Amino acid sequence: MPTITNTAAVTVTIVTLNHYLALSGVVFAIGMIGVLLRRNAIVMLMGIELMLNAVNLAMVAFAHYRQDASGNILAFFVMTVAAAEAGVGLALAVNIFKRFKEVNIKYFEHLKG
Amino acid sequence: MGQDAFEITINTAKMLVIFLLMVQLVPVLVWIERRGSAFIQSRLGPNRVGPLGLTQLLADAVKFLQKEEFLPEHGQGLIFYAAPVMALIPAALAFASIPLSAPIHINPFLWNGHKFGPYDFEFQSFHFGVGIVYVLGVSSLGAYSLLMAGWGSSNKFSLMGALRASAQTISYELALGLSLVGAIMVFGTFDFSQMIQFQSQPLTSLLGVHMSIPAMNWGIFYQPLGALLYFASTFAETNRLPFDLPEAEGELVAGYHTEYGGLKMLMFYIGEYGHMMVGSALMVTFYFGGYLIPGLTVAQVHSHLATWLHLGANPAAIVTALALHVVFFIKVFFFLWVFVWVRWTLPRFRYDQLMDLGWKTMLPWALANVLLTAGWMLFKGMH
Amino acid sequence: MDLTTILFLVLAFLIITFSAAVVILPNPIYAALSLAVTMISLGFMYFLLQAYFIAGVQLIVYAGAVMVLFVMVLMLFDLRKEIAAFSGSKFSSLLKILCGLFFTGAIIIAIRQGVIALSVSAGEPTPAEQIEMVKNLALRLFTQYVLAFEALGVLLLVVAVGVVAVARSRGGTHAHHN
Repeated sequence: MPTITNTAAVTVTIVTLNHYLALSGVVFAIGMIGVLLRRNAIVMLMGIELMLNAVNLAMVAFAHYRQDASGNILAFFVMTVAAAEAGVGLALAVNIFKRFKEVNIKYFEHLKG
Repeated sequence: MGQDAFEITINTAKMLVIFLLMVQLVPVLVWIERRGSAFIQSRLGPNRVGPLGLTQLLADAVKFLQKEEFLPEHGQGLIFYAAPVMALIPAALAFASIPLSAPIHINPFLWNGHKFGPYDFEFQSFHFGVGIVYVLGVSSLGAYSLLMAGWGSSNKFSLMGALRASAQTISYELALGLSLVGAIMVFGTFDFSQMIQFQSQPLTSLLGVHMSIPAMNWGIFYQPLGALLYFASTFAETNRLPFDLPEAEGELVAGYHTEYGGLKMLMFYIGEYGHMMVGSALMVTFYFGGYLIPGLTVAQVHSHLATWLHLGANPAAIVTALALHVVFFIKVFFFLWVFVWVRWTLPRFRYDQLMDLGWKTMLPWALANVLLTAGWMLFKGMH
Repeated sequence: MDLTTILFLVLAFLIITFSAAVVILPNPIYAALSLAVTMISLGFMYFLLQAYFIAGVQLIVYAGAVMVLFVMVLMLFDLRKEIAAFSGSKFSSLLKILCGLFFTGAIIIAIRQGVIALSVSAGEPTPAEQIEMVKNLALRLFTQYVLAFEALGVLLLVVAVGVVAVARSRGGTHAHHN
């Protein structure tokens, strides 16, 4: 972490925007690996939630460091859309589970027509 | 936390005291519940151990400590043991951010040859500007403890109780949040301290009658419907009768805590009574003026106490804070008594009736309350 | 190190550990509970970033509603041991993980090329200032972004109707027996 020296000659470590962005990038990648790797439809949905949350963290961090509330509003919108998406995804998963007693992604191909 | 060692010590001690206060009130509430139910049903209740049966609680605690520690067969150890702790945390975190008394100002003073102060102390562990949003957010985490307890015990009745309980908690959270929105609009703030500041103004008119009572501008006069809806949904949030479907003993043994005994059971109790305390404290803060005494402003209480007891400014401020604590807890205990009263008076709903009431009656009325409040504020030209 | 840095490091550790646990743990219920811990930690990180209202909404919506729904559905299914939790052969899994790592590396290198720090506001705002920040947020939401807000309302309505249509079952407590 970059250190700055203030007038009292005490070194302090500060958290910069870059730390938040790096954390956001790592969480996004973990979510992506989750979606690619897992076969349970609900766990894949959780991976998508992780990715959305990572983006939210980046936007809130930008809003804080640029002193601009627009980032917070965008994060608020993303949360709403994510909640809606989770609702639809879970409803589909429940339906698949009722048919096949399992929520593996391979059964989702039966959904088409 | 504070600028110097004195302030940091006081603030840390305050956090500990508020947590212990919440935990220690639970045995008293259990006593009230048992004696109250006995009173309502023309019985005697526990009256053998100590005066009025008050030390029954100590005996119970000893019994709880001696119980056997066990994990059900096929139970999920980690989740089974984590659930009671998760029941305790949300209530404790939520209770810690509610102001229990008026903030006090301590003038500079000399102690041990050092000069201290001036200080301002608030009687809440942490003060967030978004107080009510924080409390709702933290207390919504209580649903995890129910689900973890139900699934971790590997018992059909536990799981069914847990699923009922969490569905009920999520459903009534909507009605609960929306019923508070009207009051938030009237106060124009999320912050509990500012809400009480609003309510400490004199009440100037009620139902067209003009009057002037100091410190009586309470939320209940602006939001009667909101208060009713809020209090009703608190019963569902805390899983108490008439909404105690999750632990309906005739159908589900004891719901999600069927497999729990001893201290773990006690922690669920503390969580449930803690949620009741948070619900009552929010009711008092939002609709019944918090720690305010009707007819007396905080400054008047301070000056009266200073003249009666011949105290200086600093001791008088501390005594005022203590007196207002008592007022706050009298109000909270009234609503806690209502919880007990209702539990032993009303029969239980059926599960579909419960969901219908939540989604088809309380939610629309809460929405209507928001619209009515908005229209009324526009008409009155408030804010 | 000051308090903000320590809190940031602790929360970042929690977020990364538990989000990795979401991907690694084969039992979906443990994965969902780990995700809940991640969401709660992110909520407290928003407090650190002085986005108080967003932090509260994160706790209410994500941790309190969405994740509870996930956990509830998983417990209803009661999938104790899962057949084929992870996909495909070892080679393709390795390829996928490498893809993810490459992606992270690319993002972090891109960030390092950028600015080190933008202006940081001084100190924690008082409760009154926090309320002003929330009011500012609300004013922006209902003036500049009101169209998006209304569109979201329509989206939520459509989703509510759609979910009921998808998940509707014959039977249950409200069934008409004929």
